[in-house]
Amino acid sequence: MNNLSKITTGIAQALAVSLLLLGTQAMAAGDGKGKKADKPDPMQVVRGAKAWKNNCGRCHNLRSPKELNDEEWDVSVAHMRVRANLLGFEAEDIKAFLKASN
Amino acid sequence: MKKILCGASALTLIMIAAIPASAQDNSSDSQLNQQLLQRIEKLENELNALRQAVRQSAQTANAAQKTAQGAVKTVAAVKKQTAKLETGSYAGAPSDAKWHLAGYADAGFTINDKASSNSFGGGQVNPILHFQYKDLLMFESELEFTTSGDGETNTELEYAQFDIFLNDYATLVAGKYISPIGQFKERLHPSWINKIANAPAGFGHDGVQPGSDTGLQLRGALPVGNTRFTYSLAVGNGPQTTFEGGVKLEGSGKDDNKNKSVGGRLGFFALPYLEFGGSFLTARVSGYEEPAGHGDAPIFISADRPALAVGAGASNARFTLWGADAAYTKGALNARFEYLNAHRAAFFSPTAEEPTGTFLPRLGMKAWYGQVSYRLSGIGDSDFIHKLEPVVRYGEFRISGHDELEEENAQDRFNIGLNYWLAPTVVTKAGIEWRDFKVPGVDSETLYQFQIAYGF
Repeated sequence: MNNLSKITTGIAQALAVSLLLLGTQAMAAGDGKGKKADKPDPMQVVRGAKAWKNNCGRCHNLRSPKELNDEEWDVSVAHMRVRANLLGFEAEDIKAFLKASN
Repeated sequence: MKKILCGASALTLIMIAAIPASAQDNSSDSQLNQQLLQRIEKLENELNALRQAVRQSAQTANAAQKTAQGAVKTVAAVKKQTAKLETGSYAGAPSDAKWHLAGYADAGFTINDKASSNSFGGGQVNPILHFQYKDLLMFESELEFTTSGDGETNTELEYAQFDIFLNDYATLVAGKYISPIGQFKERLHPSWINKIANAPAGFGHDGVQPGSDTGLQLRGALPVGNTRFTYSLAVGNGPQTTFEGGVKLEGSGKDDNKNKSVGGRLGFFALPYLEFGGSFLTARVSGYEEPAGHGDAPIFISADRPALAVGAGASNARFTLWGADAAYTKGALNARFEYLNAHRAAFFSPTAEEPTGTFLPRLGMKAWYGQVSYRLSGIGDSDFIHKLEPVVRYGEFRISGHDELEEENAQDRFNIGLNYWLAPTVVTKAGIEWRDFKVPGVDSETLYQFQIAYGF
């Protein structure tokens, strides 16, 4: 095994351990809820509409908000948050817009 | 109530002030003092009783306010659920665990001017399951069911991954995931999203585009003003050597050596509708220790062992890939470009043709494509015209170091097509594809493609 291979293996192992630690910390931190104040934000729907237009239409046609109900949008947007590398609060804004429009 | 308290307090103070004066004026009138003291004590008791009553009233008022607020919330929730029941969109009470069945399907017909028959194709369905637990994690999986040329049903696990939401900027992915390399495989390959009936040359099976990997991935985004950086960094089992001496770029349930692949993609949005990306992947692939039959689990050469009976030489080799992509997606215009370049170093490995071991020369693969589509939604007043979308794509795929792969796949490919959108997620496609193979003696082909695709 040459030096490049050892370096690559070392980087891979370090990255894998880091990823596992990050995941474990997140699991230990709780259920991931309650990070933000629970106050209604009247501008969230507006931001969500803009983020929906800018992000969702980048790869495919914009789906009508009426295609899914609130819970289905929760799950669908969570999936697209990962696939499209959306910011967490951006995904929340999009959900708020879709739920307000379905 | 306040007036009563104030009055009582004032009277008390007056009386307290009067006591010493009375004592000085008539020190012998102890009886009067005694009476005054008794009255003061009585007034103090009444004052305490009044204070207690005030406290109880305040507590009662707070309790009543909370009850009223709870009632208002309950009424709002009932109104919302009632509205959903009336519109038929009610999916049950909110719960910690939610799920959604999505996916896509397509069917088509292809005419090939060089083939002996023209075929109905497709009959393909890709159900995608999403299960979410609170805002903590999601498990998602895509299966692919296709019908082979001889009528068999093929089943493949496209991906099965856990998404653990760490914070607004990072998600940890674990399991088998679609490769984050480039844009086409991860985002554009579903048939209802892909503008043309098939993948660009080199970006489908037996191409340079990795399909999937098994491992860990950290991905997310970082905001930069009004735009953002995106990242997807992965550590996985990596690619493997195929029976034919090529490289299989699909996720495996078991690694062929102790070396892990490291790869990913970094993206940047210069504008909300203009994205640039760069991808990389590095790994080692091993040769087979024993030739395995199709369907048997392969046995790989251990990483540090000398090669086979053929003599000294490396028994594994480095695989390196890099790529660049760009996308402009504003309004009705959609333009994309992707480039991938990969090579595997030379090494010894048995193949199907040489089970005792053979030397595999350096394998090089590179592919690129450019694609432009334009939705005619702003042209004229006709609804029919508005649903049309012409598309054009040109790409090249080159292979060196593997004659069989080169003969079958190296080509220039030019596509034109016209799509008609029946709905935002339902499209019919009609197109022509010209394939100009680069190995002398291999005839060029023209394909006429028709397809209907539905994303659900």
